[in-house]
Amino acid sequence: MAFEPVPLQPLERGYLTVLRIQAAIGWLIVTAMAAVADGFLQARAGLSPGVVAGPFIAFGIVSIVFLVPGRWRRWGYAFTERELHVACGWLTRVHTVVPVARVQHIDVSQGPIERSAGVATLSLHTAGAENSLVVLPGIRRQRAEEIRDAIRARISDAPW
Amino acid sequence: MSAPGTSTVAEALPPQRLDPRTILIRVLQGSPSVILGIPVFLAWSRGEGVPLVFLFTVMALLLTVTLLSSWLHWRSFTYQVLPDQIVIARGLIRRTRRSIPAQRIQDVSIKQGPLSRLIGLAEVRIETGGGAADEGKLDSVSLSEAYRLREVLRGIRTGVTTAGAGGRQGEAEDEAETLLFRIGLARLLYSGLFKFSLVWIVAIFGILQYLDQALGYDRDQWLEMVGVAERELQSRLNGRVLLSVAGLAIGLGLLAGVVRTVLQTYGFRLTHAGARFRYSRGLLTRTEVVVAKQQIQLGLVERGTVSGRLGWYALKVQTLGGSDHVSGRQELAPFARPAELAPIIALAGLPPFERSPLRPVSRWHTLGGLVGFFMVPTVILLVATTVFPLAALLLFAMPVPLAVALLRSRCHRYALAGTSVQVTRGVLKRRDWTVPYGNVQAVTVGRGPVQRLLGIATVRIDTAGGRGFNGPHVHDIDEAQAVAFVGDLIERVEALVSTMPSKVR
Repeated sequence: MAFEPVPLQPLERGYLTVLRIQAAIGWLIVTAMAAVADGFLQARAGLSPGVVAGPFIAFGIVSIVFLVPGRWRRWGYAFTERELHVACGWLTRVHTVVPVARVQHIDVSQGPIERSAGVATLSLHTAGAENSLVVLPGIRRQRAEEIRDAIRARISDAPW
Repeated sequence: MSAPGTSTVAEALPPQRLDPRTILIRVLQGSPSVILGIPVFLAWSRGEGVPLVFLFTVMALLLTVTLLSSWLHWRSFTYQVLPDQIVIARGLIRRTRRSIPAQRIQDVSIKQGPLSRLIGLAEVRIETGGGAADEGKLDSVSLSEAYRLREVLRGIRTGVTTAGAGGRQGEAEDEAETLLFRIGLARLLYSGLFKFSLVWIVAIFGILQYLDQALGYDRDQWLEMVGVAERELQSRLNGRVLLSVAGLAIGLGLLAGVVRTVLQTYGFRLTHAGARFRYSRGLLTRTEVVVAKQQIQLGLVERGTVSGRLGWYALKVQTLGGSDHVSGRQELAPFARPAELAPIIALAGLPPFERSPLRPVSRWHTLGGLVGFFMVPTVILLVATTVFPLAALLLFAMPVPLAVALLRSRCHRYALAGTSVQVTRGVLKRRDWTVPYGNVQAVTVGRGPVQRLLGIATVRIDTAGGRGFNGPHVHDIDEAQAVAFVGDLIERVEALVSTMPSKVR
């Protein structure tokens, strides 16, 4: 945690639930495919059931219980009226700073899973080429709208 | 087709079609693949007993289809210049009508391929500084129409559309154009020597091999010849033979470089007038591009591996749209002395590159190079040697990447200057970036697992209009310095943004 020019706020706990549900869906799909392979192998080669699907189930549980919270903890953000900091990444840590005056437009979005967990996603678009979309998920909708309105006020203040 | 020079009044003309000769060009451009396909087809059909009549029927059919589709394309494509916008309508079944507002037109480029030059056509591109490359492409109109369009569009952009005034102003601007930089034939040929490339030799051998197969030559005969040559070589494999083979390869490489350079940059001229630059270049395909100063996002000076040491530099700028190249970069001076570049850089509104305040990155930057350029390739080569003993020869070249890796951290420096962030990087080919604070879009600090262990970070500076490997990024600086650097950079970006109008709309 050495690179931290400003103190970062963690995301809402609700977003942890969102990440877990998303991970669970992903693992379910993989496990389902593994189960099909399992059935096939059992019929053809007489392997005992669960040889393929078992490890997937085990790793999925480990991932959802231990790894996802680790990834969630790596997220952080800070909004200082003049810039937005977004940090994320578990293995490779990425910390993005967007000067508010550079924002081209702003989205606040909420998917069905996010809505049930009471969180929203704030997306900032800049004119940049490589990193033109900066996404901040997992904050309360009210907070996302506050940031959006603050940025909008500052953009319209800026002389064009 | 309208007579050139009759009117620059925008609203006077109804929707217009492209030049009808475009159909011919399209058909001709489509035919090389057909013509190249014939020998392949012949070679294949020789044993099959397909009658020649069948072949000609297929060809005639293909030609008709090409002709018809070209004609339909021409038929359904119209453009119209209105007082405050240009409207381009196209599509046969799904009609698309695109209007480009006058304020969004950044500049108008004219490009002529070899065929187009023969019959006096030109491709006009309306640059808007946004999205797709073919956003406002008129392919093709007559050359005089292209120049007329440029005048008219320039007129409606500046809001001068009243009769005659737009044209006159444009002419006045044209007259005021000053020649900044040109490349004579001697310098062009000389610069070509530094574009030495073995890639072209490989390509030539590739084509030979393709032709070899397509024309149905006996491969065994070739192999036999190669076998004879090999035996001959082995019988008297001495230094002289090796040297002459190497000499031939180098000679071909030099020739390839010169040919490519002449084709690309023949007759390079850079002129300047008011708020824009204009450059034209090319032997067969003649390109004329206008670069509006307002669009320039960053400046990049490249010093080649050899030519840079001899004091020849290249100046590129990254612009919002308007470039054929994915990097979004345009070359304002491909081969020039620093003294010639300085006035161009100043006119482009970029501050000069200052070397003294530059700070080096962390010494750990060398480590990445040692692993990536030296250790990994060496291991791969050692493994390869067990299968192909000849690969061991490449091991003798490994000191070069080793030296590059060792010098890497010394050659990578960065600084926050008065009005811009400046970064220099590269051991063999050296690049100096100058990014005015007003053009920094976002800053990203990344730390991989190894970087975290060593306490270093990579700072990526995102700018508009360009992507790819050679961005103005600062790799591997100490975390404490990264915090200070990013904080200071963002502060300067904001200070500038709040006092100056933004360049990006």
